[in-house]
Amino acid sequence: MNTSDSDLKKIHKLLNPESVAVVGASNSKGKVGNIIFKGLRRCKARLYPVNPHEDVIAGYKTYPQIADLPDTIDVAVITVRAEQAVEIAEQCGRNNIDNIIIVAGGFAETGERGKALEARLRAIPDRYGSRILGPNSLGVFVPENNFDTIFVEHGDRALAEGGGIAFISQSGSVGVEALGLASNTGFPMRAFVGLGNKIDLNELDFLKFFGADDKTDCLALYIENVEQGREFLEDARKVSRRKPVIALKAGRTPTGASAVSSHTGKLAGSDRVVSGAFRQYGIQRAFDDEELCDAAKTLSYLPPAQGNRVAVITGAGGFGVMCADYIETDSPRARLHMAELSDKTISRIQEKAPPFASCHNPVDLTATVTNEMFVHTLEALLEDTGVDTIVCITFFAPHSITDKLIDQMAVAINDSKKPVMVFTEYGPFTDTYLKEFYKKGMIGFPSLTRTVKAVRFLVERGRILSALEEEA
Amino acid sequence: MSSTTIENKVKQWHSSLSIPGKPNEWESKRLLNSIGISTPRGVFIEPGNSLAPDSDVSVLGSSRHCVVKVCSESLLHKTEAGGVLLDISENYLPAAVAKLQKTFPSAGVLVEEMVQYRGSEIIIGALYDPTFGPAIMAGAGGILTELYKDVSFRLAPCTTKEAHYLLEELTIFPTLQGYRGLSADIDSLAGTIERVAELAVHLIHRGCQLDINPIVWDTKRWVALDVRVMLDELLAVPPKAAG
Repeated sequence: MNTSDSDLKKIHKLLNPESVAVVGASNSKGKVGNIIFKGLRRCKARLYPVNPHEDVIAGYKTYPQIADLPDTIDVAVITVRAEQAVEIAEQCGRNNIDNIIIVAGGFAETGERGKALEARLRAIPDRYGSRILGPNSLGVFVPENNFDTIFVEHGDRALAEGGGIAFISQSGSVGVEALGLASNTGFPMRAFVGLGNKIDLNELDFLKFFGADDKTDCLALYIENVEQGREFLEDARKVSRRKPVIALKAGRTPTGASAVSSHTGKLAGSDRVVSGAFRQYGIQRAFDDEELCDAAKTLSYLPPAQGNRVAVITGAGGFGVMCADYIETDSPRARLHMAELSDKTISRIQEKAPPFASCHNPVDLTATVTNEMFVHTLEALLEDTGVDTIVCITFFAPHSITDKLIDQMAVAINDSKKPVMVFTEYGPFTDTYLKEFYKKGMIGFPSLTRTVKAVRFLVERGRILSALEEEA
Repeated sequence: MSSTTIENKVKQWHSSLSIPGKPNEWESKRLLNSIGISTPRGVFIEPGNSLAPDSDVSVLGSSRHCVVKVCSESLLHKTEAGGVLLDISENYLPAAVAKLQKTFPSAGVLVEEMVQYRGSEIIIGALYDPTFGPAIMAGAGGILTELYKDVSFRLAPCTTKEAHYLLEELTIFPTLQGYRGLSADIDSLAGTIERVAELAVHLIHRGCQLDINPIVWDTKRWVALDVRVMLDELLAVPPKAAG
């Protein structure tokens, strides 16, 4: 189904409903209908529990069925099991409810009976115009308006500050687990959408929606199969001109190559066609959930790198050496090089560096590093036109480094067009520090490899943008 | 060459095949020629015919050495089957042709000039991806192509610019650019890839595959030494291209 303006309006309603019905809402603790309803009480939408066995749920008048509701409903969340869910979804259709979220699984994946149920669901959008998210969808979460239908822990409080990333996940659990972890150190979330079995709404609909959404600055997708392959790619390319699109495509599809195959057929056996297609259409491919979240966070916050020359500041020699190794290691995403610092930059760094410091790249300020030296070096590197990205290896263990460094670095970076990444680890306090950096507009990771990988995403993004500009 | 032109060439080619849906190497090479990709000069000898010493040999021009290959739509591994004779001088040509005809009585024989080259052997391929449709591949070719796996993919159509990006991803890319004195015309290779991609749009439907392996730089042009087009047997009449 093509996404028209009216479809986009419906998706807008799906994410910003004024009225929500929860079918299967319940007073019994631990039931999905109980958890979802409780969670929804934090949003401003008018709420209507639907349950034929209850009169009042959490103080809300409860209706026996959809047809009894006294209001126009923007979203119906159906929390009951598959068989009933289909029946109720049909009622929603007949009552002109624009959006239906179906939480239950147990459809086509369970055999003939499930397939028949799914076929009935598929008929609803065409017949009534209602759009369906799911089945087997974990639902949606929009921090901006507290609309949250997710019934498992997903770092929702930590993510409540919101941000620009639209996170679209076919698998609910990959989504929430990854986000739960990412939220520990800050994650700018515009919206989470659990696609589930995609009988109607799919990644293409949300690509179009969030592509056009001004509050979204980055799209992160977890997908196992791509519907409408070419259209998805064409749209991704359009979106990619304005904002990064990152996709984790899991699950390898057979190439359809016959048993007697050509070299080409055999070589395509891995999913390298997907990698090539993504590259061609400006989609950045992530290979695991950590990479997906790291890339999204980095690309949402930082400007793309203008080139592949990286400078490193460290107070710990060993990490500087390792960082240089990672940078120079070849990678299909982007080749990075250690930047060659200009003489001017080197003498500027020397002004404040300790006498035995190494003022070439990686700049090693040694364990006697102070906040002032660190920030002074950072400023010099920000101004060096031979440097495209800066990695700050920032440790708080030396006595001469104080927590104020975070603020001082933020001031130095200000609105620089040059991305600055942070690597820090400090045992039990690591996440706290990373979150502090995040609050001040800096992206950091607790591992050098993750930090350097994030730099590669920034370089890849820069290259995609210049390729797209050339084309235009 | 416009997309419509290529579409028409593909149609004509389909209807010209001696066995519909089962092109042999000679026929596959004619398809490439029709879209401007070079192949070695050569002559095709139908099963039962013999080499015509004057007319046939004159086609090969001044080539002093030839390749003689069995040319059959059904034989997949002709080298392993003893169906390829290399470096055959003019004097021995009739004997070489006769030898292959004796081993493969029902097959045709292809006599080609032996192209001289010293740079990298490149593979260019095309296939149909179930999700995205026609796609192309290019990379390190030759008999070890599946071992090295130094190839990259793009969807068809593919611009020359994008073909350049593809080539830059390859480990062997430096060998096109002067590494150890090796060099080749990269723009021309990118153009060839673009044309194969355009061909793929019209030729490669579900179940079809194309291998050009190797294609080599003979200091003047890229020459496709070996070409194989595998059409789905059920699709002798090509259906409408999928989206």
